[in-house]
Amino acid sequence: MRSTPDKPARPLSPNIQIYRPQLTSVLSIANRITGVGLALCAIALVIWLVTAASGPQPYSRFQHVIGSWPGLALLLVATFAFFLHLCGGIRHLVWDSARAFELRQIYASGWIVLLASVGLTLLSWLVSLTI
Amino acid sequence: MTKTDAFIIHSSDEVPRRTLLKRFPVPRNFEVEPASQIKRGRAWPAPAGATRVKEFEIYRYDPESGDNPRVDTFLVDLDACGAMVLDALIWIKNSIDPTLTFRRSCREGVCGSCAMNIDGTNWLACTRYIEETDAPARVYPLANMRIIKDLVPDLTHVLAQYEMIEPWLQTGTPDPGRERLQAPEDRKRLDGYYECILCFCCTSGCPSHWWNGDRFLGPAALLQAWRWLIDSRDEATGERLDKLEDPFRLYRCHTILNCTRTCPKGLNPGKAIAEIKKMIAERQT
Repeated sequence: MRSTPDKPARPLSPNIQIYRPQLTSVLSIANRITGVGLALCAIALVIWLVTAASGPQPYSRFQHVIGSWPGLALLLVATFAFFLHLCGGIRHLVWDSARAFELRQIYASGWIVLLASVGLTLLSWLVSLTI
Repeated sequence: MTKTDAFIIHSSDEVPRRTLLKRFPVPRNFEVEPASQIKRGRAWPAPAGATRVKEFEIYRYDPESGDNPRVDTFLVDLDACGAMVLDALIWIKNSIDPTLTFRRSCREGVCGSCAMNIDGTNWLACTRYIEETDAPARVYPLANMRIIKDLVPDLTHVLAQYEMIEPWLQTGTPDPGRERLQAPEDRKRLDGYYECILCFCCTSGCPSHWWNGDRFLGPAALLQAWRWLIDSRDEATGERLDKLEDPFRLYRCHTILNCTRTCPKGLNPGKAIAEIKKMIAERQT
């Protein structure tokens, strides 16, 4: 590229600061955030297993923390993140076969992913609380 | 309009509906270098005697002044100008501020010159009705571009990326001495891909290109890459795929699909890129 040493660099027009959030971009960033969150959940899962292996006292301490209101709220968010990432992943798998790329299909599948994640979260909590 | 139509976008020319947030909840100057930070500009006076007035917030940058970009406010007399956002810009240039700078040519969505960011999404100013815009209407240059002046972006980089996919017919077989023929059904495969007008609304609206635009080719160039990959007359398919098979050039596409949502010609860059990925996967088996 040509350089213009005498003048300061041209300004960059705003991108994320002004671009309107759309179902397309919002679900994409949500898939990333939930991915990061689930990686942290995997570490928490290992800690839970380690406490279980270390004896009843550390295990019951962990159970106490996760059974508290903030612990349960976190678990609820983690369940939703799991299903959103799972359903989003299936949506991406369909796209990888070059299918469902019409704009209305992109939007319909996006809303389905969102509704299915909410539904599956509620269902799994309902099932686990009743058994 | 049925109930689901409120949620489902059928065609890219539909303006956003039911948006919770008009922009992402990040600070105005989030990750913005000092020279690109936008300052408050001036509010231009209302036109005399106008009864129907519409407010426009417009990004301004004057390279001569050395000042930062700013956002000016203009009041447009709707009875004195045409129906489109481009008409409003021309009216402002003619009757309020002759220094307002923007590209335009065909005023009917064919040339792609007046691509800009209107109310947060990229579109052609000549095919967006003023009536469809927010109050105030917000007009910025194409997102994530180096700005020459006001609404004029420097397209050098994205055009170089377009050049990189070698958008011309490549053949190895002897010259037939006449046109290279193509069956109607082979020609039909190019529909939806050859119509690109290189306005770069899609590339400028792609978050992946915002963060990795130096190496990721972006949707506009990749849509054209697909258009040449599937041309029955082209004989460089393998070489073309070799050049594309790269973690950045092609695979920085994460199927966000802002491109397909924003294309003013209703094309589908997202699908074209998925087809390229599939073609590369299939040739490996």
